[in-house]
Amino acid sequence: MRCWYFSEMAYHPAWEAGLARGTLRVVLPSSNFDPPTGHGLLNRYLDEFALCDEVGLDIMVNEHHSTATCMTVSVPMALAIIARETKRARLLSLGTPIANRPDPVRVAEEMAWLDVLSGGRLEMGLVKGAPYEIQPANSNPATLMRRYWEAHDLILKALSTHDGPFNWEGEFFHYRSVNIWPKPIQKPTPPVWMTGMSVDTGKLAAERGHVVGTLLSGGTAKPMYDAYRQRARELGWEAGPDRLAYAAVVGVGATREEGLRRADQIADYVRTAPVVAEPFTNPPGYNSVGANVAIMKAGPRAHRIVKDRQGNPIDHRRATVQQFMDTDTVFAGTPDDVFQQIRDFSNRMGGVGHLLFFGQGGHLGHEDTAENIKLFGREVAPRLRELTVKPAAVAAE
Amino acid sequence: MARSISIAGVALELEEVGSGQPLLFLHPGEGLQPQREWFSLLARRFHLIAPHHPGWGNSALPDWLMTVDDLAYLYLDLAASEGLEDAILVGACFGGWIAAEMAVRDTRRFGQLVVVDPLGIKVRGFTERDIADMHAMSRDEYMRLAWADPAKGERDLMQLPDTDLAGIARGREAFTRFGWKPYMHNPRLKHWLHRIDLPTLVLWGEQDGIVSTDYGQAWQKEIPAARMEIIPRAGHFPHWEQPKEFVDRLVRFVETN
Repeated sequence: MRCWYFSEMAYHPAWEAGLARGTLRVVLPSSNFDPPTGHGLLNRYLDEFALCDEVGLDIMVNEHHSTATCMTVSVPMALAIIARETKRARLLSLGTPIANRPDPVRVAEEMAWLDVLSGGRLEMGLVKGAPYEIQPANSNPATLMRRYWEAHDLILKALSTHDGPFNWEGEFFHYRSVNIWPKPIQKPTPPVWMTGMSVDTGKLAAERGHVVGTLLSGGTAKPMYDAYRQRARELGWEAGPDRLAYAAVVGVGATREEGLRRADQIADYVRTAPVVAEPFTNPPGYNSVGANVAIMKAGPRAHRIVKDRQGNPIDHRRATVQQFMDTDTVFAGTPDDVFQQIRDFSNRMGGVGHLLFFGQGGHLGHEDTAENIKLFGREVAPRLRELTVKPAAVAAE
Repeated sequence: MARSISIAGVALELEEVGSGQPLLFLHPGEGLQPQREWFSLLARRFHLIAPHHPGWGNSALPDWLMTVDDLAYLYLDLAASEGLEDAILVGACFGGWIAAEMAVRDTRRFGQLVVVDPLGIKVRGFTERDIADMHAMSRDEYMRLAWADPAKGERDLMQLPDTDLAGIARGREAFTRFGWKPYMHNPRLKHWLHRIDLPTLVLWGEQDGIVSTDYGQAWQKEIPAARMEIIPRAGHFPHWEQPKEFVDRLVRFVETN
């Protein structure tokens, strides 16, 4: 299993204001942002990314817009800095919301540039983006996935075409001459990742052989992983764990109490991030007609509920760290505890080859974050790297 | 009664009732809602033809059909295929936008135009909203802006069968496809409204919080033979909220033009 550290680079000083207003995103005014405080936090977060390289962890960066939950507005900008401050870590962009970007060729250029700068360490996530990213980007949610796939195909073609310009006259994107410089080191393109939570996403990723990751989604992950493996088998290949990724909050401590305390502080991110004003949580067309029928029948607010392993509903906004552990949103405790929890999770899922280690979520201070990274990198990640999948363990449980 | 017809390869469902002068009615983003009183009142007086727009009701929405221009050509084709002569073209809200896009292109088959609280034009400055951002507010807030009496408009979604809910979800998605960006208007349409050569009635709900009566006056000013009438105790959907007065005013306009 590979382990990728990530941090949302949260601006937690504004969370109270956001909670009071009923939204952390889209319409929370930036009068709640203090630039000197942001300066300190951004530089601190980048130091924490750099530390990962020293302890043998890989690195993931994501982006969000108009929000106190995440200051990163551009993955390539953050990765450009991190690429210079690291030597070994692979760098995962997860990712660029390509259906919200007006210019896919520019995305391809930036990815090629990052791959060249980093010496071929880039992994390239092409993501749909969260529903509340629609409003800041003002992209049309009713045609989102059609734009996604057109941009996806264009970006891969731009990165892998080296014999002069080609033209692109699509439904959404129009270029007379695509001929990007530089070209990437990795051939034909840096590895491609997608994110999602649905069986359909699992199938579509399998059809292209991309890595598919799911974030903090607990019980919904397994059907997607199974769909990926099954689709791969139908197409004549066996999808190993290296095609599947899972993001979870991880708190490691010298003692179980310390690990749980760290996880609890990071989990404040998970409690806060879903607090979004109603109209931005489900723009028309973002979800399928079938999913929208289910949402209308369930009534408002039901989307914030996940189920634990016993099928009990858990509200992310108020969950305890133990409840988060019961939904596989959090792994926490001593290095041994955390190793065992992740191993068991991977076995239950039939083998997951990438852990996206959510190791800083706002309230966790720098000292604790650095300790969390070091303990995870030195005591947990090496054992996970050696992990072989034992799906038979599922039946034994 | 409902029937289907294929226009330009698009399978359209349309409602057709009544007899007399033909009236082509283009519905709002919220759908046709023929079960409300307006529909039978209008059918008592006219030969009412009311398509469900592509993506609403049981009408298909092919991938290529992306803009209100497409809808305008589609309904001009429909008017020709139905052999309409001297018909009344009526569009409410989003349907008013489509009706105007038709009327700036070709009015041969129509005798009068009625636009009811239409969306579709940009009047004021870059940072002034002519059209309320219906997709950036809660459902409650939207109902307060769209209805003089929001209680009249409420539908308990949790009581509706799945087929109706699927219809609502499809309609919301289609409305978004056509109206997301630029938001619910065509930046160029205002400059072509002068081409409308039909007697035109601009009907407005006095309490419309989605598009105001000032916005209505801009429409009236751009269309050469237009007059404006205001319906009290009505919001964005006067044909639903004050159906009798809506039909009375429409009939009076048709009879005097």
